Amino acid sequence: MTAVAAPAPPASGPRPVPWTKLVWVTWRQHRMALAGVAALLGGLGLYLLIMGLKIHSGYASVTSCHPAGSAACGLADQLFTNDYYPFAQTMTGFLQVLPALVGVFVGGPALARELETGTFRFAWTQGCGRMRWVIAKLVLLGIAVTAAAEAFSLLFSWYFQPWLTKGLDGVLAPQLFDLRGVDFAAWTLLAFALGVAAGALIRRTVPAMAAALAAWTGLDFATFMFAREHYQAPLVAAGAEANTRSFANDWSWAQWYTGPNGKPVSQQTIRNVMAHAPASVQNSRNPDAATAYLSAHHYTQWWLYQPVSRYWHFQLIEGGWLLALSLILVVATVWLVRRRAA
Amino acid sequence: MNVIETHGLGKRYGRTWALKDAALAIPAGYVVALVGPNGAGKTTLLHMSVGLTRPTTGQVTVLGSEPAGSPAALDQIAFVAQDAPLYKYLSTADMLHLTRNLNRRWDQRRAEGRLKELLIPLNRKVGKLSGGQQAQLALTLALARRPQLLVLDEPLASLDPLARHDFMASLMAAVAEDGLSVVLSSHVIADLERVADYLIVLSHGQVQVAGEVEGLLAGHSTLTGPAAAADDVTERLAVVHASRAGTVAHLLVRNKTAAEPVPPGWEAHPVGLEELVLAYLRAPGAAALPGPVTRATQDSGIRA
Repeated sequence: MTAVAAPAPPASGPRPVPWTKLVWVTWRQHRMALAGVAALLGGLGLYLLIMGLKIHSGYASVTSCHPAGSAACGLADQLFTNDYYPFAQTMTGFLQVLPALVGVFVGGPALARELETGTFRFAWTQGCGRMRWVIAKLVLLGIAVTAAAEAFSLLFSWYFQPWLTKGLDGVLAPQLFDLRGVDFAAWTLLAFALGVAAGALIRRTVPAMAAALAAWTGLDFATFMFAREHYQAPLVAAGAEANTRSFANDWSWAQWYTGPNGKPVSQQTIRNVMAHAPASVQNSRNPDAATAYLSAHHYTQWWLYQPVSRYWHFQLIEGGWLLALSLILVVATVWLVRRRAA
Repeated sequence: MNVIETHGLGKRYGRTWALKDAALAIPAGYVVALVGPNGAGKTTLLHMSVGLTRPTTGQVTVLGSEPAGSPAALDQIAFVAQDAPLYKYLSTADMLHLTRNLNRRWDQRRAEGRLKELLIPLNRKVGKLSGGQQAQLALTLALARRPQLLVLDEPLASLDPLARHDFMASLMAAVAEDGLSVVLSSHVIADLERVADYLIVLSHGQVQVAGEVEGLLAGHSTLTGPAAAADDVTERLAVVHASRAGTVAHLLVRNKTAAEPVPPGWEAHPVGLEELVLAYLRAPGAAALPGPVTRATQDSGIRA
């Protein structure tokens, strides 16, 4: 039985079936799933392309508005943002689940359907053996969904770029971080790997897809809720410094105040302090006024944040562990197939 | 050369042994009928022989000394699983193309020729073919691989009588043409009676009978005589199974010598294959196994 797993047969054994033949097999068996992915990503991509062209041309006319800073130009800018920005935000929300849909749709049935319908008894008793068969499938389909996701992610980045340039969102913001860079493709690969692993384990298509979807959602949620902020020790900004640097591009997820004794105080305490502030401070549009007033009374605001300069570092950390986890799952799947009894 | 050889082969699922301590040596060149009731361990034995399932105990080697499931074994053994699982969403032509790409050796002309003879259209989806056509397609795919050994698990189970007949006719024509060895399982003995020349009976996970059909039939006979004297005869002869109808007893006996004398007052008849198999299945303790090291010798031959 050990010979089943041997990458090359002994000298006396037959020459193995060439990989090129297995590429055809994989394509023929999964072209409908791949076409489904192409239709979904292609349709959404086309929409992003059309809207992106409108946004980019709209943004170009806003930036070339003359005289810059005039009320008319300000209004044009406002209208441009009102026209396109809300829907762009909705779009980012919707796209969060796309990696899971693509990955699980391709990965879930890939092995589960064979195991469910019994066709694996046909496939695994052919001359090429089950190892070549499963490796060809997992590698090719994994690469295909990852590449498609990366292409889509690049298109999305271009589509959304004007809002980033305008500073309406930071690239580290949770709803954007996993749609750009390498993150979107990495999460898609993970969904695929979870799908094939669940399929090999559960042996039924629909339960395998449901399990993979649940596992993916749990990991995604845990990552942006608890893990991502710890990739590197966060920075702390206090008082006036927090006001002088805009946090629009940085990612800040925690703020608090400390009182005269240096211990954290509640928001209610701050509101009470501010209630005694003179009207000039309370009505000031400059946040520095409030900060200065609070500072004079020994209250300090603190910010915990990750600077935008760490964007690629974070992308590579998250992409790296997602890739590693996906590879582990794929190897485990191959091992399950090798061990799997009929 | 033995096409399948097992030593102490066993497979346990949970606490149940699907197959236990099976010692078999199936020589090449036969059409082997593997029979037994449902749940006897036929599928388990075949799956272990083609490398789909790992044994819990013992070994199984194929085509001489290749381990089951090794590249050399997979290359030369074609297996058609029960219900002939194929990709129903593919066309017949794509199913051929797929199988060609999954194998080193492939005879496209033969595959297409057979399908043409069988009037199975190349452009039809596999799922749209009748059960008989799907079984024939599965057989065609197996034969186009030019295997040395063809293993079929319950190939007739889901077919109507006409399709059964056609399937067996195709199979026998291929055997005559290629001279390949065949192992096929069935729980319907009548289907295999005309084609099988080697018989294995499995019962409750144990090999009960193994041998050439000709030898087995010559080595057994039915005795008909007075029921009152049956016990006396049973004591002296190796009775596999006894049945009584009123005052008449029918005894299926295994002849200890080539020309065993018929007891006075009894009449001897030759046995049929089905009769023989049924007699053994009704007597789980009885066994007819070749070779020096078998359960039969340990259990002192025949018990009834």
